[in-house]
Amino acid sequence: MEFRFFEIYRNAEYLALLAKGAGVSAALTVTGGVLGFLLALLLSGARYRKLPVAAQISAAYVDFIRNTPLIVQLFFVAFGLPMLLGYQWPFWAHALLALAINFSAYFSEILRAGYNSVEDGQIEAAQSLGISRLVIFLKVILPQAVARMFPSLNSQFIFLFLTTGVISEIGVNDLTQAGLYIDSRTFRSFEVFISLTVIYILLSLTFKAILTLMQRRLFPWQGAR
Amino acid sequence: MRDLFISLFGKPEGIVLFQLIDATQFTIYLSLIAFIGGGLIGAAITLARISPFRWARKLSLGYIWLFQSTPLLMLLFLSGLGVPRLIGVDVNPWFAASASLTIYSSAYLSDVWRGAIESLPQGQWEGGYAIGLRFLPVLRLIILPQAIRISLAPTVGFMVQIIKGTSLAYIIGFHDLMAIGKRWANSPVDGTEPFLIFPLMALIYFALCYPLTLIARRLERRLGAVSKRPSVELG
Repeated sequence: MEFRFFEIYRNAEYLALLAKGAGVSAALTVTGGVLGFLLALLLSGARYRKLPVAAQISAAYVDFIRNTPLIVQLFFVAFGLPMLLGYQWPFWAHALLALAINFSAYFSEILRAGYNSVEDGQIEAAQSLGISRLVIFLKVILPQAVARMFPSLNSQFIFLFLTTGVISEIGVNDLTQAGLYIDSRTFRSFEVFISLTVIYILLSLTFKAILTLMQRRLFPWQGAR
Repeated sequence: MRDLFISLFGKPEGIVLFQLIDATQFTIYLSLIAFIGGGLIGAAITLARISPFRWARKLSLGYIWLFQSTPLLMLLFLSGLGVPRLIGVDVNPWFAASASLTIYSSAYLSDVWRGAIESLPQGQWEGGYAIGLRFLPVLRLIILPQAIRISLAPTVGFMVQIIKGTSLAYIIGFHDLMAIGKRWANSPVDGTEPFLIFPLMALIYFALCYPLTLIARRLERRLGAVSKRPSVELG
């Protein structure tokens, strides 16, 4: 039993692979997170405004996604849908779609809790000023909900980031895939996966720092937690 | 059982369906092991987190932080490949999967339970000490009965995370619903195309998880209402 971390960090090829993989993981998670957030706005909005049919579809979609594993969703999006509908995308595009779908369900639940936390009095005040319902939603409810729920959205985002390693299973060259490749070359599995874990932790700390900074800039009255 | 499925759904659908449902039992066993093991270790970590000893509190804080920040996939790779290769032994996928999911669950469960205990007013502890009780009796007689009520809903909710987490265990060679389903989806047999198998698997996972989600929601509504009542009456 000996530790041979130097086999990884003294090899320029492996370091480059890990750096590229970390970049791919981070980029796909951020893009998936943004797309998921936009989708979540539609989903939660439909439910908050109790739009007929759309509200029920949104509720069923959110429940279904939250109660099935990401990897099954990923495989369906990557292998099932293209075969069914007859299209072929690059691996990363399938991964992005699956992540956006997965993230949207979790974000939607958080946003919904945020909408409900806005006091009725504010909505009534806006209504008595004759402001339309859409404008009330966009200008009164949504900004406060996002501000209040920003810490929850942050931690959900970071939790979801830690699950994105599964996209390596459909062949995306992410951080986990880079680690698996190095593992298959060196057979230093312990050192490889410890290194990956450290990189994942460092990336999530970076995300956390950036998101906390964003929160301070966007909602200075909130007081960063 | 197998013949019943074949006579009901024909071949190959009957065989596929039977094998998927048959493999689901291993998903359930693994989830139960992770929940019970994670619960026991999680309880010990929670106890350390609220104990009067500074070093124990620091240690459990570090444990929770470390294993909440480590991706489950990495825990699986480490216990299934990393540690066995480091010390040169073969590890059974059952053991590796149980160990990683147990560690994963313990970190999250202890955080849930610590949160429930800390949400109680400090006066509950002080009151217990004031009537001459020590740490453990205060915990057992005063704190836990209240904290368990609060933590029931999130604990049941976390079981959903455990079941979903077991879907990754196939990566280190564990034979569960995910492993069997993926094998069928890759097979060239008609009727087992990925767009049929994966939704079917999703439905089975949903059937396991959704009842727990509903129970958690119910508990939250019921017990949440109880904890809110005093403030309404006082106001």
